[in-house]
Amino acid sequence: MAVTQANISEAGAASDRVTRHLLADRLYHWLMAACVLTLLATAFLPIIGVKFEWLGLHWMTGVALSALVLIHIVRAVIWQDFWAMMIDRADLRNAWRRFAQTFGRKGAAPGKPGKYNVLQKLYHAGIAVLVLSIIATGLLMLLKIDTPLWRRNPYVLADYQWGWIYVVHGFAAMGLITMVMIHIYFALRPDEWRLTRSMFRGWMTRREFEEHHDRARWAADER
Amino acid sequence: MQLFRYSTSIYGGSDVLIGASWDLLPWFVLAGAVVIVLHAVFKAATSRRTDRIK
Repeated sequence: MAVTQANISEAGAASDRVTRHLLADRLYHWLMAACVLTLLATAFLPIIGVKFEWLGLHWMTGVALSALVLIHIVRAVIWQDFWAMMIDRADLRNAWRRFAQTFGRKGAAPGKPGKYNVLQKLYHAGIAVLVLSIIATGLLMLLKIDTPLWRRNPYVLADYQWGWIYVVHGFAAMGLITMVMIHIYFALRPDEWRLTRSMFRGWMTRREFEEHHDRARWAADER
Repeated sequence: MQLFRYSTSIYGGSDVLIGASWDLLPWFVLAGAVVIVLHAVFKAATSRRTDRIK
């Protein structure tokens, strides 16, 4: 009898949860976070005066981040709902309505977002541009150092070409600091805790789902 | 304030571009801080207005 009741309550609890991030996606997120923070620390601590042997850890973490991003792209294109992260017409309409409502204009109320709102999609696009720029230039910069796998060969590019590669790598890395600060701020805001929690646990409550998301735009139950 | 870092070429002649200027680092940190403060102030102000309407 007790077992049956436990099963019923477990089933009830399970149906009250909406899966937001699978384990593979949460692992990707936290491994990427560890890589990005390690890369920022090994890049910028020596610049602000904390001297240590940074290069080995930096390039190895960079290679790990490149592999993670490659896996993420393949997963996003083949197994995930790729279009869930793309800005569509409904996002633009809702963003305009939200803007108009905020500044006191009358009109239709904004609709709810799908899995991600327009600002999250914009943030993802920004991070994608920065991280892909850093990876592309970083992989080229590996040609300038000796590793156990290859010998350095800096002569494949001219000095001015290397200069621009370092410029892109540097600006994108500094831009990443701005983006990481903003990301951590939003993750810590109490009104966003449901999203932060879901990146640990993988799920949000059905009430949170119904309150904040449009069932027609995020068919969470069917995935 | 410089946007880029340059090095003197060992062969003489013009300076060689070697990367972004690290003098810009505080400005990127400041940009993040400004976004955070503006958003926090905006949310505080709009939530107060929403509370008044309720």
